[in-house]
Amino acid sequence: MRKQGGSESARNVLDPTLPIDLSARQQRQRIVDAMIASVAEKTYSGTTISDIVRRAAVSRTTFYKRFGDKRSCFDAALQHSVETLWAAASAAIERGDSAPQAIHKAIAATLDLLAAEPGLAHLVMGEAVNVEPSAFGRYRNELVPQVQALWESNGGERGELRSDPQLAFGRAQVLIFNKISAGQTAELPQLLPEIVYLVLLPFGGHDVAVRQSRLAERRDLGAPGNVAA
Amino acid sequence: MSESPKDLRLWRLPRGRHGLPRELVERSQRERLLAAVVRVSAAKGYEATSVADILEEAGVGRESFYELFDDKQACMLAARLLLVEDLADKVEAAYTGGGPWAERMREALAAALNWFAADQVAGKVLMLELAAMGPISRGVFQEEFGRFTSLVDAGLDDDGPQPEVPRATVLAVGAVFARIYDEVARGRTEELPAMLPELTYEVLVPFVGEAAAREQEQRAAAS
Repeated sequence: MRKQGGSESARNVLDPTLPIDLSARQQRQRIVDAMIASVAEKTYSGTTISDIVRRAAVSRTTFYKRFGDKRSCFDAALQHSVETLWAAASAAIERGDSAPQAIHKAIAATLDLLAAEPGLAHLVMGEAVNVEPSAFGRYRNELVPQVQALWESNGGERGELRSDPQLAFGRAQVLIFNKISAGQTAELPQLLPEIVYLVLLPFGGHDVAVRQSRLAERRDLGAPGNVAA
Repeated sequence: MSESPKDLRLWRLPRGRHGLPRELVERSQRERLLAAVVRVSAAKGYEATSVADILEEAGVGRESFYELFDDKQACMLAARLLLVEDLADKVEAAYTGGGPWAERMREALAAALNWFAADQVAGKVLMLELAAMGPISRGVFQEEFGRFTSLVDAGLDDDGPQPEVPRATVLAVGAVFARIYDEVARGRTEELPAMLPELTYEVLVPFVGEAAAREQEQRAAAS
């Protein structure tokens, strides 16, 4: 929301700045949401601008005003999706969580959100790499340091990495993509034990990863503050 | 089918009346068309590839194409099956070659890495261009992923370890797929064989833990 000079009450109700700004943003978001929904149903290559404008109930002109082309709309949708997922993951963590617990909770929240929003799941885990093979590598590069920081800020040991975290994320993506391809997006939370294992492996090592993965299998978070040694 | 992708070489039948049996002619045309759809898709992308492009590359007429395939997608799917079966044959031969399980697993992994390193075009088509087929590619991925996890599972029962992590097979196949995908996407498949030691470690850890996996990693590096 753009703040104009003057107080709230002094703003002329006929001043079009606010409504236009708002509607531009709403239009953008509606178009992004339409892109996400269409990609889930018919993949990126099967999605046309007509599909998007129909779903978003905007005109073609509006589409081209907000986004130059299909690809830049997709990029915006991807950015939005990754941010939404990361926000859900971070929000799940509580003070006092041990490092394995924090990562466990973050993954559980991510999988729950992906299961609840199949469009997000298709876009981030499947289509992004089809549109641009290096896309996943790009956001993985951003994500790995964030997860490592999460591990360390919750008291996780800072040491040499025990396996390649980039590969761990790649593996997790393959597992998730495999479930999605089978039309089992709603069952993504079942992957929690495997993904907890994969993500903890580089930072905590095999034994820590196995222990937390077994807790995940029982839908148990482990005792609070119990930093696995 | 036993032909390796490199056997799908371009050869033309003599023009005019050549007296070759119809079956042989069709087989030759089919092979040329499969080789062509792979080469053209790798070069300009599956989406941008037209049936006309495939015909030109294969030196086959339109009518013959439609006698053999319904459309471009059917041709691509047939080519992918040929490639994946060749890859699976190589991996399986290495995996069932005898010796302790961890070593057979390392051999199978080496076979997969070498296959992708030897044929950049095939790798590009399997990993990147199939996905451009739209929703049908999801079923294809599902099928291939299942094929390789079943293959690994089938070799586990005799002397394989009791995995320390549930569904370790899925994690193993996932690691190989993820690494190969990355290198194909970067156009660096020739570096895959050098990744054998590191990937041996990553694949084995969920099954046998870090110490035993490290041992196999060192053996892979020495071999």
